[in-house]
Amino acid sequence: MMERPKVLVRIAARNVRRQARRSLLTASAMVLGIALLMLVRALEAGGHMAFVESAVRLGTGHIAIEHPEYAASRDLVHRIPEEHLRLAEDEVAAAAGRGEVRAVFPRITVGGLAQSPSSAIPVQIAGVEPAREAPVSFLAESIVKGRFLEPGDRLEAVVGGGLAERLRVELGSRLVLMAEGAHGELESQLVFVTGIFQTGIPEVDRGTVQLPLETAREWLGVGGDATSLNVILTSERWTGPVARAVGERLESSLGAGEVSVKPWWEALPDLHAGLQADAVQTYVMFLILLAIVALAVVNSVLMAVLYRTREFGVVRSLGLNRRSVGGMVMVEGTLLSLVSGIAGMLLGLVLARGVFRNGIDISRILSEEDLAFGGAVMDPVVLPVVQSGDVVAILAIVMAIGILASLYPAWQATRIEPAEAMKVEH
Amino acid sequence: MLDRPGTSGEPSVRTEDLCKTYGRGETAVHAVQRISVAIERGEFVALCGPSGSGKTTLVNLVGGLTDPTEGRVWVDGKEVGGMSERQRARLRLNHIGFVFQAYNLLPVLTALENAEFPMMLRGVERETRREQVLELFEEIGLEGLHDRRPGALSGGQQQRVAVARAVLGAPALVLADEPTANLDTVASDALLDVMELLNRERGVTFIFCTHDPRVMRRARRIIRLVDGHVERDAEKETGDLPSWVVEPVNS
Repeated sequence: MMERPKVLVRIAARNVRRQARRSLLTASAMVLGIALLMLVRALEAGGHMAFVESAVRLGTGHIAIEHPEYAASRDLVHRIPEEHLRLAEDEVAAAAGRGEVRAVFPRITVGGLAQSPSSAIPVQIAGVEPAREAPVSFLAESIVKGRFLEPGDRLEAVVGGGLAERLRVELGSRLVLMAEGAHGELESQLVFVTGIFQTGIPEVDRGTVQLPLETAREWLGVGGDATSLNVILTSERWTGPVARAVGERLESSLGAGEVSVKPWWEALPDLHAGLQADAVQTYVMFLILLAIVALAVVNSVLMAVLYRTREFGVVRSLGLNRRSVGGMVMVEGTLLSLVSGIAGMLLGLVLARGVFRNGIDISRILSEEDLAFGGAVMDPVVLPVVQSGDVVAILAIVMAIGILASLYPAWQATRIEPAEAMKVEH
Repeated sequence: MLDRPGTSGEPSVRTEDLCKTYGRGETAVHAVQRISVAIERGEFVALCGPSGSGKTTLVNLVGGLTDPTEGRVWVDGKEVGGMSERQRARLRLNHIGFVFQAYNLLPVLTALENAEFPMMLRGVERETRREQVLELFEEIGLEGLHDRRPGALSGGQQQRVAVARAVLGAPALVLADEPTANLDTVASDALLDVMELLNRERGVTFIFCTHDPRVMRRARRIIRLVDGHVERDAEKETGDLPSWVVEPVNS
């Protein structure tokens, strides 16, 4: 570093230390603000990940491979033929690197009626493969009575707690499922309730029935076909890359328009929109916190400039030009922001990974219904998740704010006229 | 770029009908009124006169620290008024040393760092700077104090550091505003010895604003200002103290 910048940085650093109490107060406000910002961001990330995790494990998967028309029609006409299904499974295996894919499973999902001796209720009926789906299924985890589906089951079915109540069925009760089959005729299937689940998501608990995939295929006459092939990944962050790679491979082997490969945010648009709306609220809070940080820097650096008017007059008279004087002030603000930024991040990490590492229980503030939206549910204990991208982004934003907030005080310092400044008594 | 000292053949400082007025209308204060003087290179000049006579304003105008209301100033043959802010800063850095009455040291720097500050801005090598500072500190009784901050120095010691800052690197011109105002006789004499030596041996031009008879005795030219005008401007022998320098105004 050249001598002049070096000495200007030295003067700036010593001036930050010189006004120790003021610098400390400003730094404390910044450190707390940044730490709070990190914790809020980590909780938001943790909450969102929990929502996504529950939603994808309800069956959509991180990636859903469907017939392009199926999302709009929900009609069995728009299903994936068995050979495409096999090819898609192969392409998923090929496109995903080792360890990226946790589970792949086909499904038949149709809208229909569940009828008990006392009532008939419209439901979503899903044929699932217990061997492949049970280890990752959110429903399997949410069984409160009986058991989830197992390999070898034929006429067993699991139903939501709300649905069981409305249909007045218990474990072992008979249930008749009715839906339009592959040939356009209404088909019925008798099943026995073997498990009752309670996810906390009202629309799921009040309107979902799952039965073995093979039973559903036979009942609806779809052969080896399925309405979707769902992929659950080991981490949500692989969704985009894996979806793109699978999409490209399927397009080259099947041609365009045969199947659509949707990442969860396309497959679950309501959830995605909800999370985005939630993120906007958080960003508004971030803006307020960052504005406080900016004001703290402006206040501290501007006070330092006004307090040292005479000194700026002296350095100007000794031959320092306006630009260098402004630069000295900018360095002060930047140093203050950098030190506070790093300290704030460390405190944020201590809070997120230390103090609150076991999560924050929000069940006292939010009811069970508030914990569910967009077909997903969040655990009432929110675990903070610190993402390295957030850490870098927050530090970069704080630094940018420190620099921007120092511009006005620096401009003020450049306007100081040496002769006038040296008349100021401090 | 300005010429180095002693190369342009022009006076060190020249002013022409220089005026500086603060405020407007009835409250206007005419600090400097139509002053035209020329100060040659190597002169040792004392500006005297009662408080408010315009001494400090004149020095500030010469140093480019403030702009004249009318008139012109040349330093080393270059007109200060025609310079950009950056050129003025360069002029002050490379050609002018300032000594202020109130020391005006930077409190976050040590005595040594304060003294070497202008040299450092000029890009003088660290070793050269330190060598020159420590040598001068020894001459003016500051040995062993180089690591102290201004707050840990007496008024006299601070003023000696300020003088060291102004004269190190041998600027062509030193503008000193009441440099001995806060010093005892011994400290004043030590400082004036250093400044006389620089003036004699290196041809540095000194312009003092002063009320101090000790400074005026050493000066070889005294300019007396009254109400912003030059009332008297005369050369003298070193050691003399003309009676008119201490005469009351309009006597």
